[in-house]
Amino acid sequence: MNFEQLFLTVLTYGCLFSVMTVCLNLQYARGGMINFGTVAYFAAGAYAYAIFTQEPPKGLDQYLFGFDAPWWIGFIAAGVASLLFAIITGWPTLRLRGEYLALTTFAFAEVLHSFLLNERRIGNGSVGLSNVDRPDFSAIGLSENYGFMLSAVLLLILTSLLCRRILASPYGRAVDAVRDDEVAAEAVGKDVHRLRFEIFVISAVPIGFAGALYAMITTLVSPDLFTAEVTFFVWIALVLGGEHTIKGVILGTLALVTFEEVVRSLHFETVRAAEIAASVEYMMTGLIFVMILRWQPFTRFAKKGATP
Amino acid sequence: MTLIAQYFVTGIVTGCFLILATIGFSLTRRVEGFLNIAHAEMLGVSAFIAWGLNTQAGWPFLPAAIVAIVATAFLGLFIGRLVYDPIRNLGPAVLLISSVGVAYVIGGAIDGIVGTGIRSLDIPLATTYKFLGVRITDYQMIVVGLAALTGISLALFLNKTKTGLAIRAMADNPALAASRGIDVQKTSRATWLVASGLAGLAGVMLAMIATLSTDIAFHQILQILAVAILAGLGSLYSVLLSGLIVGVAMDMSVYFIPAGYRPLIAFAVVIVVLLVRPEGLSGRSKS
Repeated sequence: MNFEQLFLTVLTYGCLFSVMTVCLNLQYARGGMINFGTVAYFAAGAYAYAIFTQEPPKGLDQYLFGFDAPWWIGFIAAGVASLLFAIITGWPTLRLRGEYLALTTFAFAEVLHSFLLNERRIGNGSVGLSNVDRPDFSAIGLSENYGFMLSAVLLLILTSLLCRRILASPYGRAVDAVRDDEVAAEAVGKDVHRLRFEIFVISAVPIGFAGALYAMITTLVSPDLFTAEVTFFVWIALVLGGEHTIKGVILGTLALVTFEEVVRSLHFETVRAAEIAASVEYMMTGLIFVMILRWQPFTRFAKKGATP
Repeated sequence: MTLIAQYFVTGIVTGCFLILATIGFSLTRRVEGFLNIAHAEMLGVSAFIAWGLNTQAGWPFLPAAIVAIVATAFLGLFIGRLVYDPIRNLGPAVLLISSVGVAYVIGGAIDGIVGTGIRSLDIPLATTYKFLGVRITDYQMIVVGLAALTGISLALFLNKTKTGLAIRAMADNPALAASRGIDVQKTSRATWLVASGLAGLAGVMLAMIATLSTDIAFHQILQILAVAILAGLGSLYSVLLSGLIVGVAMDMSVYFIPAGYRPLIAFAVVIVVLLVRPEGLSGRSKS
């Protein structure tokens, strides 16, 4: 693998996953909500994009809907799908706290995954939808790789600006207040439930867009791509970034993606060697994760505790 | 009708396995106060140690199983002291997230050492017995018997022995327990040994009744969570009932809906219980 290719891959996927980490950061570090089902919103976006842009089913296809719409309609649909899924899952669950919220969101993500896998009418079941439509960058004189890289960077910049804007406003300070002390925030007239719900829903939208972009890049959506591993990956990146600032989490994600891509770009003589490298990568990721949590005092978090 | 009865019996066996797998998890939650996601990986560790000794080193099954259980218990103790003890005062959420990291490390290690593919133990094929048209194998009966035995001995352990009483005292109020002269560290270590040993036992059972693949642990944690939540996080005796409920519900569901949705039942249980009755079957809310 040449250097340019590696650089492009890292930047594309790094920015794509950074969109998720930035949103998760908004939910967790600012909203105090542990969302262990991040992948579900990502998958909702990707599937919505694929379903809207896919041609109507024919031959062996088992999916019911394909609207053959242009890419930008699919892109908007992705955001809407993620938004709707956040409303459906957020409405009943957000009164839960701490580990209880983590478990419910995790369960919701697994339910969605199971539906995508078993219900062939959504997206061909385990086969998935292939040949996903992608925008044509040649019209503005860009090669595909650079086009997607720039789109990912752009999406990340917009997401970060949105988060910064939200958090710098009085609204953001209200969110911080809810996280720090719910009772006090409620006492001065902040609608705690509404604030949490709004943050949860708003931060799901860019994740849906990221899902659409991911579908364009891979040109394939299938349940295999959207497992709980994505969620854990994003969480590890978030912890790696440490400081709970937007810059921090983006750097954390880029570092993790670089690490993975470098390991993947190495050549191995045998399948067994590649297998061992993959598991060592896995172990290293976990080890880094544990070590960071061990030596970075999240005092702010510790005092919150977990109450249902 | 026989078919329903068959699914019911299979469900009971699944339930008994889930009881074995969950009790250690709930014990950790009760005493150490956090959800140990890596608990399921301990099942995998034990299952693969048993498999390695049994098929690769040619040991008979029983000594292999015993070594696997003991080794898993001590590995659990080691991890508990190395990883979780130093960060205990950072709160349950950080411990929970850390245990995901631990699960990664253990899972990666198993993957690297064992490699992918499907494995099974070198033990005689199961003998099937038939009662009133319902089939059950001898290995399945062992699982049911061991679950019952574990339930009883755990109750005796927690109620009659000094260590057991100390564990209960510490679970209810660590500060008070310490001030009454209970050695908190020693009790915590005993908990890790017991909890991981139970995971080891469940892992060996898993190796006995199912085929092994390296991603097996992940599928277990979801069901363990479902059982633990239905029981009420941290409660022990309700696990016996809720394990059976989840097991029977999952296996009976195959009769009504496509088998692919079987795991969904466990998640449905998680969602419904948390939304309707977060304190679970036990009814005591622990905040």
